[in-house]
Amino acid sequence: MSRARVVEQKPAATGTTLLVAVGLGIAFLLFMAFLNVVKSGNLLSESNLLYAALIFYAGAGTLYLGFGVTGTPSYIRFASLATWAGLVANTGAVAHRWYEAGHPPFASIYEMLLSFVWTLAALTLIAEKKYGVKVIGTVTMPVAIVGVVLMQLLRTEVHPLVPALQSTWLHVHVTLAMLAYAACALSFALAMMFLIQDKVKTEAFLAATSLFCVGTYCGVLTRFEKWGGLNVIAWNPQEKSEIFISKGVRLFVTIPDLGWLMVIVLAGVAAPFVLYLIGRKTQSESTLDMANRAVFVSILLQIMALAFFLLRARDGQYASLDAEGLYPTSLAASPFILSGLVGGIFASLLYLLLLWRRTDLERMLPSAEELDRITYRTIAIAFPLLTLMIAAGAYWANRTWGSYWSWDPKETWAAITWLVYAGYLHMRITRGWRGRRAAYFAILGFAVVMFTFFGVTYLLPGLHAYA
Amino acid sequence: MAKTMIRRIWQTIGAVKTGVILLIITVIISAAGTLILQRPATDPDDLQRAYSPQMLRFLDGVGLTDVFHAWWFLLLLSLVSLSIVAASIQRFPNAWRFYSRPYKSPDESFRKALPLHAQISILNEETALAAAERVFQKTGLKPERIVRENSFSVFGERHRISEMAVYIVHASLLLIFVGGIVDGVYGWRGFLSLTRGQQSSQIQQNAVTRTLPFAVRCDGAGQENYADGTPKRWWSKLVVVENGREVQRKEIVVNDPLVYRGIRFYQASYGHTGKVDKLVLTATSAKGPAKDISIGLNETVALDDDTTVRLAEFIPDYVVQDGQIYARSNDLENPAAHLIVESKKTGKAANVWLPPIPGFEQNSASPYQFEGKDVQMGYYTGLEVSHEPGQWAVWGGVLLMGLGLAFVFYIVHARVWAVPVENASGQLTLWIGGAANRNKDAFEQNFQKLVRGIEAEINAVSAITAVEHVIPLSAK
Repeated sequence: MSRARVVEQKPAATGTTLLVAVGLGIAFLLFMAFLNVVKSGNLLSESNLLYAALIFYAGAGTLYLGFGVTGTPSYIRFASLATWAGLVANTGAVAHRWYEAGHPPFASIYEMLLSFVWTLAALTLIAEKKYGVKVIGTVTMPVAIVGVVLMQLLRTEVHPLVPALQSTWLHVHVTLAMLAYAACALSFALAMMFLIQDKVKTEAFLAATSLFCVGTYCGVLTRFEKWGGLNVIAWNPQEKSEIFISKGVRLFVTIPDLGWLMVIVLAGVAAPFVLYLIGRKTQSESTLDMANRAVFVSILLQIMALAFFLLRARDGQYASLDAEGLYPTSLAASPFILSGLVGGIFASLLYLLLLWRRTDLERMLPSAEELDRITYRTIAIAFPLLTLMIAAGAYWANRTWGSYWSWDPKETWAAITWLVYAGYLHMRITRGWRGRRAAYFAILGFAVVMFTFFGVTYLLPGLHAYA
Repeated sequence: MAKTMIRRIWQTIGAVKTGVILLIITVIISAAGTLILQRPATDPDDLQRAYSPQMLRFLDGVGLTDVFHAWWFLLLLSLVSLSIVAASIQRFPNAWRFYSRPYKSPDESFRKALPLHAQISILNEETALAAAERVFQKTGLKPERIVRENSFSVFGERHRISEMAVYIVHASLLLIFVGGIVDGVYGWRGFLSLTRGQQSSQIQQNAVTRTLPFAVRCDGAGQENYADGTPKRWWSKLVVVENGREVQRKEIVVNDPLVYRGIRFYQASYGHTGKVDKLVLTATSAKGPAKDISIGLNETVALDDDTTVRLAEFIPDYVVQDGQIYARSNDLENPAAHLIVESKKTGKAANVWLPPIPGFEQNSASPYQFEGKDVQMGYYTGLEVSHEPGQWAVWGGVLLMGLGLAFVFYIVHARVWAVPVENASGQLTLWIGGAANRNKDAFEQNFQKLVRGIEAEINAVSAITAVEHVIPLSAK
């Protein structure tokens, strides 16, 4: 709490400094990129377009964050301008990819990320222009940046499609899934904002953030191996693909000692939650204050975990339990761990933003009623998309494997997601659930979506091995 | 007594609470089914490795290793369906009344209870109602003049069908369930493996063999690769033979099955049998010119009037160990062919091995020398066979659900009423009320706009009439 006061006492930035800095940054990076282009002589290649998108998204993200922290209105104008520019470049990259591959870009993780980032940027602009949720870019742009950076790490060459994936229905299925998940993500962000406007205590967000990080690290630690190692998938750098022992069974290599580190970080991210519980029980302000400080520690620990993971999983040969010899791994082989670690840091940073700037945020966000309404509207968009996504997937499965429903984990979890949102709609329409209860329900829905998207692929085996 | 009991059970089944509890149970059990390894999808060895014997016995006993095919899971799904049916039936009459006989002329108690309403003071009932009518029309709410014994009013509405949308969605869900149940009871899946030229009507299911009333023949199968060697396409040329006649022909690929009499044949796998299909050899003798022959396994080919050759054995990947010839694998790695060259006249036979394997070959005894030119290995195509008579109900249900959801979310039943009434102070006002079944917030904004519109319209009309009154006066 004392910390928050210190920040507020700082003189408010006039706005010009950051704008000039970001503008110069973009200009500098574009100039460097231009030099690169002159050297290679290939202007509109996919990687150049993606690089341009990254530059603009980074600029937009900085400005949105600046807006989130200072509330200077001119930032927003330039931030959306930068988002527009990034979206144009991103569209170019998507089109280029589509043209080159001859199929819509949904076949690999890389291509799906490309489409996902595009959808996210488009939705950000729509939310901002149509619904006036200006601060949304503060959340979505960093996600987009992480997406583009991840793409740089993953394979970029057009990979031929295995026979089962050569179907229009698959593209329909994945497009719908991306749209539906993006809408669910938006509804989650809106529900969170609703809770802020609905005067939910800041400590509650602390607990939620801490729990999210605990969940993430528990997920990562399912790959804990005896004697403190961490299992990651082996990667073949020549073929740029995961290494398989047999059909559908990936080869894991163990990075020594990383497991212990993750256990320590797990303790670190759990600390704020434990302190919160103690503070609530004993009604002690000072313990809650300590919990807030523990968030800083946990962020430092998480950054350390990410750094070590990047250093050790990026290159290097490790032994495996399932096969003799040393095998290489790569960051591209562990997209889920990577996004989990980055997501944890990101969530904690957002909490700090809330801790320090709550009053400003409340001033900038639309009213609670408005947010409640828009949350429902986004779910009203997401739900039919989810339905059609499941139907298209079933139709494709029927054409490929001869059964429209085989209770594979991903299918089952998609059905569970559907049921949760169906529950939300029933409660809202027939029982008149509004406000906080509805917001919690929307958050639960998104948690299930995240589990379906990441958790099932990462933790549970199944037919959806392609995605 | 019994009647009230049944009624009470029926009411309980249809209650929202029951539905929600059933759904929560379904969600929990389904989630458990994805976390616990399932029998049909997992290798029995893997199951044994993952769980201790006691644990496995317990899981098997409760049915948790095959949740989605357990009778109690089907029972649960049936209960969910029953709950949807009951809820729909119990609520339908009310909704139908609402739909078929809309409430058009609001009485005083209704006017008091309606949350969304406004009052505009007016001078003339008729002009006000006419103005309201025009504004309703303009905003797409079909207006209707309602005349009762002691009141008259205007009623406008839009998209009444929206009241039925929820039933469309529920009906579609039931249709999907019905399709699923039909497939669960009458559907089956199996596997059929064919080599080139082979014809069969025997479908392998888990333990049994099912005989189809027709047969399927494979006229060829193949694989095409990308430049980097990963498979691009698998295809099989299939022919359906019924009563000795060819009734259908199709080249199937992955994602594009052959359908005959509701039975679907999918391209599922493809590989070599390890057996030779055709071996092409060049045979040379001292007597005449060299000639090429093509020979299959156990086939006999005449080389000249007297001599014949038979392909007795073909080993795609041979290895010699302890004076024996073994096949190491089914891949065409290190092939060996065993030919028997026979003379009719003398009755003498020579074992020819290609390549010559010391200890087995009698190549020099043969009048012909052979050289391998080409070998075509036999391939099989693996076909997944399925029969799903209920799938059309499922697809129909899906389409209906799409339609229903579009109605539920994007089509709002909006109703508005305009009634001239006297307010508490005895002044003549136009009471305007509105109600929407969904998206009430957006409707509220539209309603305020509507009220302002009516106000403006009335003012405009009275201004005109006022002007009409004024002009003659000033002219005088």
